[in-house]
Amino acid sequence: MTGSNRVEASDPGQVAVGQARIGWAERTMPVLGLIRDVFEREQPFAGLTVAACLHVTPETAVLVNLLTAGGAELHLAASNPLSTQDDIAAALAASPAVKVHARSGVDRRTYYEHIHRALDAGPALVIDDGCDLVNTLHTERQELLAGVRGGCESTTTGVARLRRMAAEGTLAFPMVAADDSRTRRRFDNFLGTGQSVIDGILRATNALLAGQVVIVAGYGSCGSGIAARARGLGAQVIVTEVDPDRALEALMEGFRVLPMAEAVPLGQVFITATGSRDVIGREHMAAMRDGAILANAGHFDVEVDVRALAELAVAVHPSVRPHADEYLLDDGRRLILLAEGRVVNLVAAEGNPAAVMDLSFAVQALALAWLGSREGLAGSEGRAGEDEGGGGEEGPLPAGVHDVPSEIDAQIAALALASLGTEIDALTPAQQEYLDSWRQGS
Amino acid sequence: MPTEAVPFKVKDLSLAEFGRKEIRLAEHEMPGLMAVREEFARSQPLRGARITGSLHMTIQTAVLIETLAALGAQVRWASCNIFSTQDHAAAAVAVGPDGTPEDPKGIPVFAWKGETLEEYWWCTEQALTWPGQPGPNMLLDDGGDATLLVHKGAEFEATGAVPEPADDDPEEWLVILAALRASLAASPGRWTATAAEIKGVTEETTTGVHRLYEMAKAGTLKFPAINVNDSVTKSKFDNKYGCRHSLVDGINRATDVLIGGKVAVVCGYGDVGKGCTESLRGQGARVIVTEVDPICALQAAMDGFQVARLEDVVDSADIFVTATGNYNIITAEHMSKMKHQAIVGNIGHFDNEIDMAGLARLPGVRRTNIKPQVDEWTFADGHAVIVLSEGRLLNLGNATGHPSFVMSNSFTNQVIAQIELFTRGEEYPLGVHVLPKHLDEKVARLHLDALGVRLSTLTKEQANYIGVPVEGPYKPDLYRY
Repeated sequence: MTGSNRVEASDPGQVAVGQARIGWAERTMPVLGLIRDVFEREQPFAGLTVAACLHVTPETAVLVNLLTAGGAELHLAASNPLSTQDDIAAALAASPAVKVHARSGVDRRTYYEHIHRALDAGPALVIDDGCDLVNTLHTERQELLAGVRGGCESTTTGVARLRRMAAEGTLAFPMVAADDSRTRRRFDNFLGTGQSVIDGILRATNALLAGQVVIVAGYGSCGSGIAARARGLGAQVIVTEVDPDRALEALMEGFRVLPMAEAVPLGQVFITATGSRDVIGREHMAAMRDGAILANAGHFDVEVDVRALAELAVAVHPSVRPHADEYLLDDGRRLILLAEGRVVNLVAAEGNPAAVMDLSFAVQALALAWLGSREGLAGSEGRAGEDEGGGGEEGPLPAGVHDVPSEIDAQIAALALASLGTEIDALTPAQQEYLDSWRQGS
Repeated sequence: MPTEAVPFKVKDLSLAEFGRKEIRLAEHEMPGLMAVREEFARSQPLRGARITGSLHMTIQTAVLIETLAALGAQVRWASCNIFSTQDHAAAAVAVGPDGTPEDPKGIPVFAWKGETLEEYWWCTEQALTWPGQPGPNMLLDDGGDATLLVHKGAEFEATGAVPEPADDDPEEWLVILAALRASLAASPGRWTATAAEIKGVTEETTTGVHRLYEMAKAGTLKFPAINVNDSVTKSKFDNKYGCRHSLVDGINRATDVLIGGKVAVVCGYGDVGKGCTESLRGQGARVIVTEVDPICALQAAMDGFQVARLEDVVDSADIFVTATGNYNIITAEHMSKMKHQAIVGNIGHFDNEIDMAGLARLPGVRRTNIKPQVDEWTFADGHAVIVLSEGRLLNLGNATGHPSFVMSNSFTNQVIAQIELFTRGEEYPLGVHVLPKHLDEKVARLHLDALGVRLSTLTKEQANYIGVPVEGPYKPDLYRY
């Protein structure tokens, strides 16, 4: 069943272009380079099949090549119907150790078809980005569950779904919440997404953000990064939130915080980064200014209610610019939806910068090796609650959602520092003893 | 009000030792002034100059005064604001580096913190009074009060009488008229003679410069003026970087409120307003700007600030700062509509940006002094606002004004302008001038070493390519920096 579907990449002639871009990404991902050296030597994935559902970008290709260099047989599906970069898919498909099932601009049916094909080989390890692959495993491919040792989830949205599965007792194997590592939250979300979401909006619209009122919905680790960068470009940023802690943080950073209904008439650019749905709904769109730009930075296309927008509009002018659709309302106002409401930094720009993905994928690579090294398969007897125990040093991890081990976080930061040529201090034995003790006071 | 001649008048000479210690620290932070002292130690270009200064009597000003003296000038000094004097600085200047409180050997200074308006104008007049000598031949002004007294005195001497005040004249104008009335009676012709003796004035600040241009336009200006304010190394540094530093300092010392998360309104987005907004934003405040000038308003918008009308945000903001150089910006009615315990302060030169008199006239309003320069004004309905420094510039009233390094930039301009007018007066005909750009660049150059700045040098070819001399000036006069 595997061979025939293998190259879903639409144009094999793009191989050379894709390889050149992957080469560029490799040069800007030094931490993965250092890990690759180790994996090539130690072959942690020898004999293991990995099914991955990730945005097919040059950075993902570097991760994929690193895992296959470590001995894995890798089956890759796209984690978004629009985000696949076909030249990258083509270049990856040229490698014998990788089976690619991805092509840009597919419909929903084909999207899930690709996920099924990536699962066909029966993975021992999985990498997911949004939990669609793990979800499919648990709902439609349950016969494969027993063979899965565990996996990693990349995004906040996916981790939230996994936690709900774990709470229900449905999750059948251990999943590492790569999203929750310190490295990831700071670098990937705040820095990477913060920059690339703005990049996507600029590429799609060529709008000058200085002087514009930008509404950022959600002040989590992504939203705060977006807000900081929009301000840096001279925008007047208004934050909407539902969480009082984050709202207070936004306020203390000097942002105006308003309910969405009050922000709507002020905003010129709207960016959703909540992980929730219907953040911008029909009643909001009905009150927006002419020319308002709507962009979503969240993982799924549910944050802007695109269906409501289509219903509200009397006409749609698709692709007034690439990745920008103009919706005409009955009173003559036009609203501009970017990337069809899908994750704008990946669709209209190139996703997170390679240097950021370097750290984020390093978490996944090391977490996956850590999972792969645990011989015992997480059977159904291990259906413990999330985050329970460490499962002993080398024993099987129970099913559930697990945090990234702090040693992996520290290891990655150390590798990143080494790659940047930065040296840091070490605690002296006396300092360590002081920090470990409690007797010494003022 | 004292009338007898005294050699100086300060709050407390015993503060001189503390003042001298602070002057010593400030000298290190004022590399421009110290470099000028060294450069002109031998040539003494201000020998023969009798300089009357009217400028905030602070530690930094003490270094300026002693620099002028070190270049050969005789100096008499008053502050240009009733609250801005640092009494230990005044004491140290009066005592001098070689004197003692019992045997002061310093420079005549007439200034203390918390003068009445009558005392303030008495001090200004004392600084303009040179016992046994024909008055000053140079003015160094900040806000133009010394220039104003000389000009108004001469004007009234020409018309023969001091006019009667009108009903709605500000209180301060009545005090000025009273002082001049007494002066005309005691020594008629004095101000006319003083004006004739003065070679020129160097003016420190926007407000004073504005007055000078008005007088020049009206044909009433009696001596040449150098507009020090518009040297780049003055206005950008002092107005922008200085206010950026001292605004927040003043608000913190006065109120200790957490600025993060508050909504602050800054009226005016000139150099001062730009510095103020930057520091408030840096503390985490959300800053709203009000403007009348479309260029400045657009700049504020492009810098990401909300630009609104004061009346639209007056009931929702927590902190209000005026930085316009205009008057009646925040009215009593505005203040009555503010949130309970909103903070109101002014960083513009004069105290008329906030209508304090109108506030005091509101029926049922009550003033409660919290601590020096911090008053709570409670309205009839029970809610209150906090007014800093009685509406006078809060960075000086509630904190210590600009830091030494910033003042070194503007004061080095002052010293160079004094040298220019005194030694090369023929090049500065009656009118208002700015310092030539090469001197502006010189001021900047004198401050680079202290910051560890390594300046690059144009090659001859590069200089030719852009058509400037290798040693500068580098920019056309209209360049905006």
